[in-house]
Amino acid sequence: MKKKILSVLLACTMVLSVAACGDSDNGTSQPTGGDSAGSANVSTDNTGSDAGAAAGELVDGKFAETRQITVEIYDRGNDGGSDPENNMYTEYIKKGMLEDHNVEVTFKKVPRWTEVEEINNLLAAGDAPDICVTYSYPTIQTYAQMGGVIDLSSYVDTYKDQLPNLWNWLTETNIYWDKDPSTGNLWAIEAKLAVSNRVLTFVRQDWLDKLNMKAPTTKAEFENMLIAFRDNAELLLGADASKMVPYSVSYDVGWRAATLIESFLDPNMSDREYYINGFDDRKLTQNGTKDAIKLLNKWYNDGLMWKDFALYGSGDTTEDDYMKAGYVGAFTHNWDYPYRNGEDSINANLKRNVGEDAKFVAIDCFEDKNGNYTKFVSGPIDRKVFFPSTNDEPLASMLYLDWISDPEHIHYLQTGDEGVTHTVTADGAIAIQPATGDAIMNSGMNIDYTITCNGLKLISEELTNKSRALNYPGIDAADVLSAHTIANTDLRIGKNVNVGAIEAEEGVGDTLSSKRDIVYDNAVVASVADFDSVWESGLSDYLAAGGQAIIDERTAKWEQFFGSSDMLP
Amino acid sequence: MAKQNKKPTLNKTNWKAYFKRYWQLYALLALPIIYLIVFKYAPMVYIQIAFKKYSIVESVWNMPLAKNYGFEYFIKAFKNRDFIYALRNTLTLNLLDLLLGFPAPIIFALILNELCFKRFKRVVQTIAYMPHFLSWVIISSLALQLFAPNAGLVNMMIKDLGGEAIPFLNDPAHWVGTYIGLGVWQSFGWNSIVYLAAIAGINPELYEAASVDGAGRFRKMWHITLPGIKPTIVVLLIMNLGNILGSNFDRPFALQNNLVMQVADVISTFVYRFGIKGLQFSLTTAVGLFQSVVGVFFLLMANWISRKLGERGIW
Repeated sequence: MKKKILSVLLACTMVLSVAACGDSDNGTSQPTGGDSAGSANVSTDNTGSDAGAAAGELVDGKFAETRQITVEIYDRGNDGGSDPENNMYTEYIKKGMLEDHNVEVTFKKVPRWTEVEEINNLLAAGDAPDICVTYSYPTIQTYAQMGGVIDLSSYVDTYKDQLPNLWNWLTETNIYWDKDPSTGNLWAIEAKLAVSNRVLTFVRQDWLDKLNMKAPTTKAEFENMLIAFRDNAELLLGADASKMVPYSVSYDVGWRAATLIESFLDPNMSDREYYINGFDDRKLTQNGTKDAIKLLNKWYNDGLMWKDFALYGSGDTTEDDYMKAGYVGAFTHNWDYPYRNGEDSINANLKRNVGEDAKFVAIDCFEDKNGNYTKFVSGPIDRKVFFPSTNDEPLASMLYLDWISDPEHIHYLQTGDEGVTHTVTADGAIAIQPATGDAIMNSGMNIDYTITCNGLKLISEELTNKSRALNYPGIDAADVLSAHTIANTDLRIGKNVNVGAIEAEEGVGDTLSSKRDIVYDNAVVASVADFDSVWESGLSDYLAAGGQAIIDERTAKWEQFFGSSDMLP
Repeated sequence: MAKQNKKPTLNKTNWKAYFKRYWQLYALLALPIIYLIVFKYAPMVYIQIAFKKYSIVESVWNMPLAKNYGFEYFIKAFKNRDFIYALRNTLTLNLLDLLLGFPAPIIFALILNELCFKRFKRVVQTIAYMPHFLSWVIISSLALQLFAPNAGLVNMMIKDLGGEAIPFLNDPAHWVGTYIGLGVWQSFGWNSIVYLAAIAGINPELYEAASVDGAGRFRKMWHITLPGIKPTIVVLLIMNLGNILGSNFDRPFALQNNLVMQVADVISTFVYRFGIKGLQFSLTTAVGLFQSVVGVFFLLMANWISRKLGERGIW
């Protein structure tokens, strides 16, 4: 009897728990259910009227009925950052969009460092935000081939009058950047890079001073400096001498030694050669890269580099912690890397942990064969904005892009409120100050929100230039300005080689990038004697996995569009 | 057995009577069955992606058949060098795991069984279980802290003693050792539970009789304990063989790094890289299907052999 009662009880609890699960499911899915019902209504309205008439629905740029859109936002998972979906800036955007266009905006966060995987999953599940942002164009292209992306060509043209800010800011160059020359399809709009600063080398100024050295200006001087750091570890680090890292790179060698690699490329390389070998943005297949890695390999074997670099993956903070603790002598990274993140910046940490005079400063020391410091930077393009085919509100979404490109809105998102996130100096420049709580910007200059703009762009160019150096709270303005100047020395700016989709590039982007990192990492840590064979076998593996097919197709396409000419028209 | 003999005489009314009498038990069974249907059987519909050209917008039924009578992606997989490496690595790592990881809990259980201090035995047992509750992500960070060539504790000690750092994680051969070692460490305690239970079920009179006959500890272990847990060993061995081509994802993924990919990339991480990151869903479904078919084949073979050798097998 006892057993029977017990089993009845058990059965009951199970039934109840199922019911409870069902309930909670209903609870959470209800709002989305409501949403989709709402958008379904709206889309039936839309289908009733064609594209032109849809614009007619707008009165003073406002929809008669409230529309709903979702927008992707990167989640950087910063320590003590604000909620990326809900903070002072999202409120500003939401309020503005509702007032100006009667569109309700919901943000949907996507982890920054795994954005491609995450967006893939969301797209495959039909759950992607209406406005998606990614750095990977091949991903968009692959989905476009499957019919998963909206063709934007008709929208940008039809609604041109409704989108003045978007057209003014991005101009034809960026809007049509990815327009297929043969089919006319436009799968994504390229955000604009307001400054083309890319990668720089930084060195510990206080160590140079201690050793009575001048900042290096050539590779040879740089090497001598690293040797001096290594040999004077006792003097520079005392008890922590064994932790000395003269020069640091991460597993992403191609990015983290970019200026060194570029110094080995021919600065006068033809557009054709640069394009054909240019699928990999870390320049693995460019002529000259091998010599750069060979030099790194020598440094590695001479004990001038961080031995463990390849063991730590993307997003790991170990290397940053080493820099902050003061063990690192020099490194190459994004042009403002040691200045970012206010109180938590590398330089601020150095000041606290090591001493007042401890800081990283930018240097230019990898000369090319002409003795210049040529830096191959990309064209003025940044993230790629696209609408997945599940987007029922392309017009409202276009209006969002227009709203977010409004100079005033960019200005506000980059600077916030006076007294909270910035102060105004005597000469009118804007100085960013560390914020707290809801006002914290999770990304520098809020680039995660200004999805059509990367880089400081205030209401006027004069103000931008005045304020640039004050954009990094707690950092010496002169250091920022010098980094900015060096980052703009001897630029070779990328051009748009628009030959339509390269089929061989579809679906291989991520596979090839991880292969590239493997080639680079293994070549750097190989013994000097093995270097050539490790490099050759790695590279041939990369080419066999799809790299060669891309080079061949790019060669053919170049011939088809530009014939035998070596340079772009 | 007696119940099974009754089965053939069971008619419709009888079945209803059974159901009426035992409905609580059936109700209890319903939930796991629903789970299996929803999460194991329903997804099988999508196996056909392996034979079709995948599209995110179309339903599976409408996707066009792939080239070569639907076998395009199988051909592609076997032409892919990375897949061949992944296959090789999966087999090597799993065989090594079987070779070293399978006997470990048996030996541990035998040793524990011989301990006479009950309290000490319990402490040892608990400590041995503990790693089982750590996720591989945590174990891999522990491994980094301990075994990194420069910053790892173990290597720092070796260097302080005047030795050369051992590349536990950054040299392919050493990495395989670390991978297997960590796997054994993580699971031997937990896996020994089954054997301890089996040992507890052995009739103590057998031991007493053996003692009377003058058998020592090793004799008793060899002639009583091991034969006593043999059926358990066989069943677990068969299940393990079914997994010879399967691979869990987190262990290799958490432990691998760019320097050892040539030995560390297994099928599951290959599928993740190509399928989820590289958007080649058809290719990776084909790989997954191949993996499962080979797994089932191994399972059947092992079961067949064990029955031939007079053991019970798993069904």
